[in-house]
Amino acid sequence: MNNEQARQTIFEVLGEIAPEVDPATVDDASDLTEQLDLDSMDYLNWMLGINQATGVEIPQRDVSRFLTIDGAVDYLVTHSG
Amino acid sequence: MIDFVLPSLGADMDLAKLNAWLVKPGDMVHRGQIIAEVETEKAVLEVECWDEGVVEELVLSPGPTRLPVGTLLARIRPLDGAAPQPSPEQPLVEVAASDRPPARPEPRREVLSPPVRHLAHQLGVDLDRLKGSGPDGEITRQDVHGAATARIGEGQRVKASPLARRLADETGIELSSLSASRVTEMVTADDVRAAVRPTPARPDDAPELGAPEGRAETMRRAIARSMARSKREIPHYYLANHIDLERALQWLTLQNEERPISGRILPAALLLKATALALRETPDLNGHWVDEGFRPSDAIHLGVAISLREGGLVAPAIHDADRLGLDEMMSSLRDLVNRARSWRLRSSEMSDPTITVTNLGERGVETAFPVIIPPQVAIVGFGKVVELPVAVDGQPVVHPLVHATLAGDHRVTDGHRGGLFLDALDRLLQEPQSL
Repeated sequence: MNNEQARQTIFEVLGEIAPEVDPATVDDASDLTEQLDLDSMDYLNWMLGINQATGVEIPQRDVSRFLTIDGAVDYLVTHSG
Repeated sequence: MIDFVLPSLGADMDLAKLNAWLVKPGDMVHRGQIIAEVETEKAVLEVECWDEGVVEELVLSPGPTRLPVGTLLARIRPLDGAAPQPSPEQPLVEVAASDRPPARPEPRREVLSPPVRHLAHQLGVDLDRLKGSGPDGEITRQDVHGAATARIGEGQRVKASPLARRLADETGIELSSLSASRVTEMVTADDVRAAVRPTPARPDDAPELGAPEGRAETMRRAIARSMARSKREIPHYYLANHIDLERALQWLTLQNEERPISGRILPAALLLKATALALRETPDLNGHWVDEGFRPSDAIHLGVAISLREGGLVAPAIHDADRLGLDEMMSSLRDLVNRARSWRLRSSEMSDPTITVTNLGERGVETAFPVIIPPQVAIVGFGKVVELPVAVDGQPVVHPLVHATLAGDHRVTDGHRGGLFLDALDRLLQEPQSL
């Protein structure tokens, strides 16, 4: 999986949780939960959706890597094999 | 003949539109089956039937008219020998009365524990058709899991809303050919409609589901009515306590490290479970104020305040919350939040919370001063978890703390009682492995 594919998947899943979000307005480097007003259930659902779409498991210790879009993209590219 | 009427839909929810029927004349219905979909100012609700029999007549057709609670919707012919169940049309206050039989179905209660009932509900397993393998015919968790697994073998693996199933039947669409939302893991009516376009089976005059325009305004009005009544009628008192979550969160982290994402437990589930158990010790915070008196509730149905992205909030119930294991609490919470946000709540969830919990910490607030939802008599608030210095064995250390608040109805309890509740909550959260 390359950067572009990872980013696309991430936003597809995000679109199911926060349909009103325009990817063009998201700052890829800043905290996603604050930026998009996601609560812990949204955040868990988002990671679960990414896991189901890509097969990449996200252990509890790596959850903080998904605080930003950049972090999530890096993680998926590195771990998608 | 049994009258099926528009049931109570929650405090200050007196009117609803009939959106759709999920059954037709001649269909068999059983207790707990979702047979209609209605829409109030706050939500689209799936309405359960509490009787068993055959649909004789659908008295009203779906339409835009707002119908009062108690309106006759359908007639059901009871099965031979089947006694009519307590009717669900009683107003909320009656349902809450402790001397009435429960309004929700409790099939074979004597051989069925609430967690098993809950599991069956979650997995969509019909308990009435299940044979128990436990002592005295008790239905066990394994029986429920087994039935759910067997259903997969029958090709009904797809999780879908009742309306989606009906539409799929009518249009000949295979549910298994549609992809479920990754978030709700459920095929919705909209998914089925999208699959049948450009020849929709739905009549042109049927109302659109989802979040129609103007709902935010009507929901605002409903909240305004309920909260104004609360502040007008209920003499609130407020108490607050810092609770040290060091042990609870450490324990939770250890648990979650072993689990896949789908099985992880959020701190909110831990707080809800502890709240439910603390209420067992202070039952006079759990119930309703009715006819100038307090009616305690034996069951603990925790209302959970869920904010919606479009604005506004709903507070549907997690039923028998004190009897759920932590995993069941988490899956109930997840299911409830996902359905609330996709406007798919059930009428019983809206009508019978016995107390509400709000978790404003999710939105960065350290302390919540919540307003009681009438006719309930208390509400619990949790703020954001913050790292603060505390003294442990005389030494300052930094621990994660949460500010827990209780708003109580002074007509029913005094601050002393409320204080005992917060104490119990603190104590229970220091032993997370027992929750």
